[in-house]
Amino acid sequence: MATRALLAVISASPNRCFISPSRIKIQSLTSSSSSHYYQRRQSRKIHRIAPSYSSDSDSSVLQPPDVSRLAQTARISLTPDEIEECETKIRRVIDWFGQLQQVDVNSVEPAIRAEMDGGNLREDAPETFENRDSIRASIPSFEEAYLKVPKILNKE
Amino acid sequence: MLSTLQPPRSLSLLPLRRFRNSKTIVSAASSTTSVISPPQSQILTTRRSLLSGETTAVEIAKSYLSRIRLTEPQLKCFLHVSENVLKDAQEIDQRIAKGEELGPLAGVLIGVKDNICTQGMPSTAASRILEHYRPPFDATAVRKIKELGGIVVGKTNMDEFGMGSTTEASAFQVTVNPWDLSRVPGGSSGGSAAAVAARQCMVSLGSDTGGSVRQPASFCGVVGLKPTYGRVSRFGLMAYASSLDVIGCFGSTVADAGMLLHAISGYDRFDSTSSKQDVPEFQSQFLSMDHFESKPLNGVKVGIIRETLEDGVDSGVRSATQEAASHLEALGCVLTEVSLPSFSLGLPAYYVIASSESSSNLSRYDGVRYGNQVMAEELNKLYECSRGEGFGGEVKMRILMGTYALSAGYYDAYYKRAQQVRTLIRKDFKAALEQNDILISPAAPSAAYKIGEKKDDPLAMYAGDIMTVNVNLAGLPAMVLPCGLVEGGPSGLPVGLQMIGAAFDEEKLLKVGHIFEQTLKGSSFVPPLLANVP
Repeated sequence: MATRALLAVISASPNRCFISPSRIKIQSLTSSSSSHYYQRRQSRKIHRIAPSYSSDSDSSVLQPPDVSRLAQTARISLTPDEIEECETKIRRVIDWFGQLQQVDVNSVEPAIRAEMDGGNLREDAPETFENRDSIRASIPSFEEAYLKVPKILNKE
Repeated sequence: MLSTLQPPRSLSLLPLRRFRNSKTIVSAASSTTSVISPPQSQILTTRRSLLSGETTAVEIAKSYLSRIRLTEPQLKCFLHVSENVLKDAQEIDQRIAKGEELGPLAGVLIGVKDNICTQGMPSTAASRILEHYRPPFDATAVRKIKELGGIVVGKTNMDEFGMGSTTEASAFQVTVNPWDLSRVPGGSSGGSAAAVAARQCMVSLGSDTGGSVRQPASFCGVVGLKPTYGRVSRFGLMAYASSLDVIGCFGSTVADAGMLLHAISGYDRFDSTSSKQDVPEFQSQFLSMDHFESKPLNGVKVGIIRETLEDGVDSGVRSATQEAASHLEALGCVLTEVSLPSFSLGLPAYYVIASSESSSNLSRYDGVRYGNQVMAEELNKLYECSRGEGFGGEVKMRILMGTYALSAGYYDAYYKRAQQVRTLIRKDFKAALEQNDILISPAAPSAAYKIGEKKDDPLAMYAGDIMTVNVNLAGLPAMVLPCGLVEGGPSGLPVGLQMIGAAFDEEKLLKVGHIFEQTLKGSSFVPPLLANVP
């Protein structure tokens, strides 16, 4: 239970949001079952911001960004002035990105990073991190063994 | 005491090289004031003077701290100066007194970019959201430096989370260029570059996602080395764009940058993208000039990238690059022009990929587990307000652009397409490096520009990264080293030459770079600011 609860808060980081308890135990940080749960949550990453574009990659069909909705998705509060400023700048940059639509990439495989040798994963085994007090000291709201966040269960 | 640490060409010789009022481009290669000796490694000089008993680690540390006190009010390179420098130096002296073995970095004073974690020492990535944050662990690169006797002087200023090219996007202060206090030092590792240029530390660590080590090295007249992706562990480097980020090295000589790289390289079980490739002993490349043959680089094939010398590049930068190419030819290199057809596509592809990855990576800053928190009635508000107040304008913009590019319906048009362009860029580099040992280009289209000049125009700022981003997309090693000066500032502004090598062939870059540097006549790349500093 504690593992699931902690991961709920980790995964509820700004691009994702779902119910998590208000008080979460910290001791379960190293649980090995966590990675699967986290990966499941990661798959929710893609959000719909505006009507999707047709698949033939014509930049003219792509909708311009709606900064307020993007900010909501990214969990960033913006002032009206910031929204206005961002809108102008982001539109210019996105327009500039548009030149990529003209490139012929038919049958070109995407490269996710530089070529690298494989097999470098360490054993998937939990380890104890000794300097826990230092981790706790960094937590802005901490009480006994718990991270504190605003109450979100038992709402009216 | 300081004279034992400074390369002989430095302070006292500075008046020999004054280019004030010069109407023409001043190139180090073409200048005739050849009495200046070639630069010497600070790391090796320190080691020699400690082992001979000529000086102590404490004396060396005091002299650097004193220079920091004198220059820092103007330069603002550091966000934090360690209170343990003298204590660490004392420990080195005690080891010497006991006759214990010294690590290769013993007594070497090292600046560390603020996005690289240092245990118990503030590490903020120049962001308000991490103000006062002290990590519970050292980054692997920092741990290795400490194990080899290196002393962390402090944490250097940067553009927030590495997002910028001038260091103006730091949440805390603007670092200035030691060559001209009205100009930017470059970025995002501007503090690390300026600190080495101003001899506030001997070497420093930076990070390079799209040129953040190489461009400030060019602007500040120091050596900047970006290793192959995977050469150095990223454990403890605050992630910006994980497929592009590398930790890199600054030094006032090629040898120093190379020795620092050697110290931090190698596989790390905490970073699965770090490579198990052998790390060669680079030091054998750093022969003294007495051992050079008449054509020490005979037969080395050098390709000059045609697209990097076209329109949009300042004429002074172009001339300095061409003269550097001539200097390489004089050393025996075989020079040819190469074309990378995908070159101009790298810039938009880079910004799509970097923004997308940053929107994912920076989601960890939620105000709950570390960093600044803005308490709110409701959890989502807590996230939104903590991030809204914690992030600066450029960071917010890049997160939003990345969120857009990764949105359903847009992913294929932007992120996937940018990754396909990355494949094209990799292929072009591979073909060019099959024909050549190294490729060369300018490090940036211009020398350092004025503070504020490009601050509000993101596209103008991004355009300055054109020379460097492709190298990150291909994951290749590259080094920038000073090759000349152009008009500007009180005594000229430095220009860097970029050398690009095949993956994991840093050794060749260091060899060519060292010989180039040691044989370059006429200029000492020491900023005028130091003329009045003891």
